Amino acid sequence: MALAFDEFGRPFIILREQDQKTRLRGIDAQKANIAAGKAVARILRSSLGPKGMDKMLQGPDGDVTISNDGATILEQMDVDNQIAKLMVELSRSQDYEIGDGTTGVVVMAGALLEQAERQLDRGIHPIRIAEGYEMASRVAVEHLERIAQKFEFDVDNYEPLVQTCMTTLSSKIVNRCKRSLAEIAVKAVLAVADLERRDVNLDLIKVEGKVGGKLEDTELIYGILVDKDMSHPQMPKQIEDAHIAILTCPFEPPKPKTKHKVDIDTVEKFETLRKQEQQYFDEMVQKCKDVGATLVICQWGFDDEANHLLMHRNLPAVRWVGGVELELIAIATGGRIVPRFQELTPEKLGKAGMVREKSFGTTKERMLYIEHCANSKAVTIFIRGGNKMMIEETKRSIHDALCVARNLIRNNSIVYGGGAAEITCSLAVDAAADKYPGVEQYAIRAFAEALDSVPMALAENSGLQPIETLSAVKSQQIKENIPFYGIDCNDVGTNDMREQNVFETLIGKQQQILLATQVVKMILKIDDVISNSEY
Amino acid sequence: MASMMQPQIILLKEGTDTSQGKAQLLSNINAVTAVGDVVRTTLGPRGMDKLIHDDKGSVTISNDGATIMKLLDIVHPAAKILVDIAKSQDSEVGDGTTTVVLLAAEFLKEAKPFVEDGVHSQNLIRSYRTASTLAIEKVKELAVSIEGKSVEEKKGLLAKCAATTLSSKLIGGEKEFFATMVVDAVMAIGDDDRLNLIGIKKVPGGNMRDSFLVDGVAFKKTFSYAGFEQQPKKFLNPNILLLNIELELKSEKENAEIRLSDPSQYQSIVDAEWNIIYDKLDKCVESGAKVVLSRLAIGDLATQYFADRDIFCAGRVAEEDLNRVAAAAGGTVQTSVNNIIPEVLGTCEIFEEKQVGGERFNIFSGCPSGRTATIVLRGGADQFIEEAERSLHDAIMIVRRAVKNSTVVPGGGAIDMEISKYLRQHSRTIAGKSQLFINSYAKALEVIPRQLCDNAGFDATDVLNKLRQKHAMQSGEGAPYGVDINTGGIADSFANFVWEPAVVKINAINAATEAACLILSVDETVKNPKSESAQGDAAGAMGRGRGGGRGRGMRRR
Repeated sequence: MALAFDEFGRPFIILREQDQKTRLRGIDAQKANIAAGKAVARILRSSLGPKGMDKMLQGPDGDVTISNDGATILEQMDVDNQIAKLMVELSRSQDYEIGDGTTGVVVMAGALLEQAERQLDRGIHPIRIAEGYEMASRVAVEHLERIAQKFEFDVDNYEPLVQTCMTTLSSKIVNRCKRSLAEIAVKAVLAVADLERRDVNLDLIKVEGKVGGKLEDTELIYGILVDKDMSHPQMPKQIEDAHIAILTCPFEPPKPKTKHKVDIDTVEKFETLRKQEQQYFDEMVQKCKDVGATLVICQWGFDDEANHLLMHRNLPAVRWVGGVELELIAIATGGRIVPRFQELTPEKLGKAGMVREKSFGTTKERMLYIEHCANSKAVTIFIRGGNKMMIEETKRSIHDALCVARNLIRNNSIVYGGGAAEITCSLAVDAAADKYPGVEQYAIRAFAEALDSVPMALAENSGLQPIETLSAVKSQQIKENIPFYGIDCNDVGTNDMREQNVFETLIGKQQQILLATQVVKMILKIDDVISNSEY
Repeated sequence: MASMMQPQIILLKEGTDTSQGKAQLLSNINAVTAVGDVVRTTLGPRGMDKLIHDDKGSVTISNDGATIMKLLDIVHPAAKILVDIAKSQDSEVGDGTTTVVLLAAEFLKEAKPFVEDGVHSQNLIRSYRTASTLAIEKVKELAVSIEGKSVEEKKGLLAKCAATTLSSKLIGGEKEFFATMVVDAVMAIGDDDRLNLIGIKKVPGGNMRDSFLVDGVAFKKTFSYAGFEQQPKKFLNPNILLLNIELELKSEKENAEIRLSDPSQYQSIVDAEWNIIYDKLDKCVESGAKVVLSRLAIGDLATQYFADRDIFCAGRVAEEDLNRVAAAAGGTVQTSVNNIIPEVLGTCEIFEEKQVGGERFNIFSGCPSGRTATIVLRGGADQFIEEAERSLHDAIMIVRRAVKNSTVVPGGGAIDMEISKYLRQHSRTIAGKSQLFINSYAKALEVIPRQLCDNAGFDATDVLNKLRQKHAMQSGEGAPYGVDINTGGIADSFANFVWEPAVVKINAINAATEAACLILSVDETVKNPKSESAQGDAAGAMGRGRGGGRGRGMRRR
């Protein structure tokens, strides 16, 4: 790339290693960027909706992921192009913020870019297109606000939440038991939610999976599931009304942190040391017994001697429990984490109605259920499934459903799914376009057209005639002035999304439109790409 | 033949590259113009962004002149000067970095025909200097003071300045939103010069409208140990203890070793160690603090201890965040837990841990001194937030500048047209060559409105002619007219609140003239050969070098 030449036609060296750099500028840069963005969107387009297909991705180490989740697919694709990376980040932000609609946002951005290309060909300045999009997105978001419906729910009446989660799950591989999974997700979120502050800490919901069984066996445990078993095979497998001592200290003689050495020069001294060690074990176990613990959960290990002693004294124990699980157990059972045996008191014990070890099928793997906890503010969703990929995908789907439920607790407004929201926005934006003077009007109309692409893709993926279906629904919406006619993806026989119970969260939809507009603006605003030629 | 025998005088080290004279001057001008052309399209509200890959493969998308110049990695000696003035403009006023580069390039471009015609460059320099002094005086004269207005009114005016800066950036669509935010942030820290009291935190995800301003401090939840979730997450009017010590069970002295001869003493040593840490923790609790922050680690033992006593703690807080909490909450950072007196504890109205996007944030708001502010930026992509941060930085600098020297000038090229007119008029009163030079300086200033039009896709000639006509009006009422970016015509910039602080313009004119004069005064470049170690890659670069075959010796390897 040469920026300037001297009077003899030789290039100046202005930039470091300038002949290794390439530069793309003006309309070419925009076209190239748009093409890259569109390519990404095209990949995801077929994943949209209840009849969307999954993608199989093989990682560099040969591990296989099968997913329908936009954010996951893009993450795994490991794209190199910068503009494509922007699209990946777009999907990721939707994931962070809303957790759902990660495919839709990319399809939307792709459609906007496609429309922008057409406007560029007409000779409209890219920034004016971007500005027009921004105006249009504001119109759309306001329109959504207007048509959104609030629904009331409380801890007992959570049916609306379940319906919305079902919409999310219907596009996933797990849709055959979406009802039960949606219920699990909603119950889990309600269990940990702080309804007053409208805050949900999803960290309190643990999602565990184990290969085997079937999807229908997936269950919600009001308590904690630990992938550990009792330290000694002969310990009882079931403890009712357990008092749990949660320890972060090992069953070992204590060690000072400072470097130390014990000089043993006589046999007597050795004897005392040995005795003292034994005494330690004895005291420790006694201590636990004294405060009334019937189960010991320990972050560290203990050697065979201690294990034997515990067994002997009839005190079941679990060892090597990770810090995060320990914390969750403490929260769930209302216990306190105890760093030293000396500090054990009856108040610090956690209480659980039932602790049981459960083994699965013919395998020797066992897991520990801690249920009926004093404080059920920590729950676990335990997923079963035929293979690992299935479980991973179910985990992701559950995550989406959890996020949707959380969003509804934060803001209980919903819009209708199945492309209904997009179609009504498209109509609103199209109507608003004529009010704007100037070139932006064209961009706003282009935005309206781009909005149509989401229901179009839905129809396409469902095997319907996209144009016919869309125009039919559109005219129906206008004729009856009702914003909840959408694409009948499942061939139920009605376009009324209210009847089909297809809901999406208002904030999720708004976020999609705003985020897509934002990124498209960023892409349109670039008119110069300077890069090393190897990229 | 005798002359052939004369020994060659070797003056410079072998491999030194020299070039001199008029050709050298012209080639410098060409190089500078080429660089100016790169940033040209980023000017103004319809300016475009650049996407630059650097050697390491990381990518920046930016509209900020200084950032682009820095990333272009310019090696040409004359063109490097432009990078420096962009940087200086950035550190001095924070905005107008594209303007300054563009002006310098344009001054030189206007000087080029004169140099070609054989004018001595010192003559040009002298005239340029005079012109710049006159221009600056004129800016000062035209500037309107916003001093003496009520706080509310002033805030509104400052927001206008910030909005003008932001309009050319990626976040231009939400400029009012961000402008108010920036003004509030700057007003919050008051006259204090410590810019680091305004924190900008970036959280990917969400929409830029979700960005918010905390009148206090906010930082991301630090790494936490088991037991953290059992701590309360919200306090009203808590006492805040700031520490710079580790609260962990560990050996007190690194190299100490304990020798025990009696095994029964074992327990006492262990107890002693536990007592040390418990002693520390007790003191923290006794101080009455409800929130304990430390720059160093707070271990799992301490976390659980605090959780038992309903105290919130966070370890490994970044130093700048801790200092900001100290400034905001009015506490002092302690290096020991002994003798904690109530005075060293800070306080704030509300402390809360909140979910922001995918992260949890610790937010301290309603701090008594109110001398800090934190802007939490949200946006769809990392690149987006990065660019938004740079834009906000510009806006913050502008507002701070405007608070200090509270004079503003109309933007949108209006002030440039007005100075241009003034200089043109002035030049007619001068006899001699200088008349031409000052006239060309005046013409160069018109590049700002012209480029604004070009970037927006308007007919620059048409708009400029309209502007010239307005500015030439005797009554002076046309003075605030600039380019109207929305319609492609002209409009009263002042009335439309397109305002810039006067100091931006003054500094830009100064720096650009300086740079132009500097480049004009150079008539010889001597380039030393690269040192032996850098020879490998330098040899190639030099081979393509400017200056023809002269003095291009290849070194032995």
